[in-house]
Amino acid sequence: MTLDVSPAAAAVAVDHEPLPRSTKDQWICWWSIPVFYVLFGLIFVPLTRVMPPPRPDKSPEQVVAFFHSHALTIKIGFGLLMVVIGWASWANGLVAVQMKRMSVGPVWAYSYVAALAVGAIPGCLFAAFAFLAAVLRPDRSPDLTMLLYDMGLMMFVGSLGCFTTQYLILALAILLDRNEIFPKWFAYVTIWQIVTEFLAAPIFLVKDGPFAWDGSISFYQGTAIFAVYLTCLIALLRRAIEQQSVAPS
Amino acid sequence: MSAVVTAPALSPTPSHVDNNVTAQLISIWMAPLVGVILLGAFLAFPGFLPPMSPNMSASQVASFFDEHRVAIRFSMIVFDLCGIMLVPFFMVIVTQMKRMATPSEVFAYAYLAAVTSGATLFAVSNLLWLLAAFRPERDPALVQLLNDLAWLIFTAPVGMLVAQCICLALAIYLDAQPRPVFPRWVGHLNLVTAVLMAPAAAAAVVTSGPFAWDGLVSFWLKIGSFSVLLCVMFVVALQAVRRQAREAVASP
Repeated sequence: MTLDVSPAAAAVAVDHEPLPRSTKDQWICWWSIPVFYVLFGLIFVPLTRVMPPPRPDKSPEQVVAFFHSHALTIKIGFGLLMVVIGWASWANGLVAVQMKRMSVGPVWAYSYVAALAVGAIPGCLFAAFAFLAAVLRPDRSPDLTMLLYDMGLMMFVGSLGCFTTQYLILALAILLDRNEIFPKWFAYVTIWQIVTEFLAAPIFLVKDGPFAWDGSISFYQGTAIFAVYLTCLIALLRRAIEQQSVAPS
Repeated sequence: MSAVVTAPALSPTPSHVDNNVTAQLISIWMAPLVGVILLGAFLAFPGFLPPMSPNMSASQVASFFDEHRVAIRFSMIVFDLCGIMLVPFFMVIVTQMKRMATPSEVFAYAYLAAVTSGATLFAVSNLLWLLAAFRPERDPALVQLLNDLAWLIFTAPVGMLVAQCICLALAIYLDAQPRPVFPRWVGHLNLVTAVLMAPAAAAAVVTSGPFAWDGLVSFWLKIGSFSVLLCVMFVVALQAVRRQAREAVASP
């Protein structure tokens, strides 16, 4: 009945002053990130050929031929993704835990988890569904196969808002954080990622050149910066957990 | 060094609470900014003013896309880029729900999950419209198929929004403190909004009249009541966070 001991008040206190405890769970999540991205790379680059993306200006017959020549590896790769995709959530959980250690409170940690939970469906799984449906029936009409091809690649390269939101709040959190969980320069790397998402917007308009979904700006530039971002994130998460491990009790 | 880094209590700068409030205020003020951008995109989408009828033939849909391709692409790219940026605003509401004197935080996390699924549906519908507009030479029957899917996903799965509103209403009613985080009437408003939006589910099966996806109930009432709710929630969330800031100063 007394207000001071209400569960909500207790929960707020727990949010900001976690007791010193083992970082074992965080290390488990941390190791999942390089493992996940090695598998992710294997699935999307050599197996399913989504990265680098095949051209948007193929004819329906060329698209049918594309699926014909990669049918087996698409099935292996995206079959594997059906299991592997879940591990994206471990990395999100780890980043959220570290964001909750920042002085900015939990609001952006929740936003981060929510934005990336959105991203997993249109931004990753739809490519798999579309490509799997395309190779399921090689005798489907070329126009329908073409539709699935467009759906897979457009959703994979063109799901923008979930990731712009993720990067925006991560950058804001790092810049405002007074606990120095991540260094400030990482916020600027993250902001660059927002720019790359905006630069990918023209993929819905053009089918050739640097701004097409296989283009030097929309795809290669964005992917290169993502690789830099991801490498930094993995290293900085490691640093953040290490600092937590040596924190005095 | 590491002690300072890892222990907020030792930080020379005053309390983390101010900063927490700042993060919430930024997230709240993102809402009107993003809201205006989304409203602009909404008005720019020729398929909304008036909403496209489910009874349009394949060739009518295809020629509609031909005629309005630029505006359709523009508005849906804006939705795609900015729609999810409303999520931090809803997470402020989650953060405020966690401050309520409710028996547990169950509705706060349920609200978070409902927002996430609802946002996913919104993102998928935008991408389907962009896909429908992508190739002018595509078979009209397929353009119609994509347009149908986009409209259905945009309009009918109101369950996420309804559950979200009911979660918040219940949490407000259970917030057992003399001065609750949100006033009780905000709970009533959320319940009313849930009731007004729920009939839009009928757009999944009905193709004419007020319950079709272009109908008065399924389109205008649903979007109108949700927009009113967003505006009200902006004001009351702002008040709640400001009060949190005052209380933090009063009792450090």
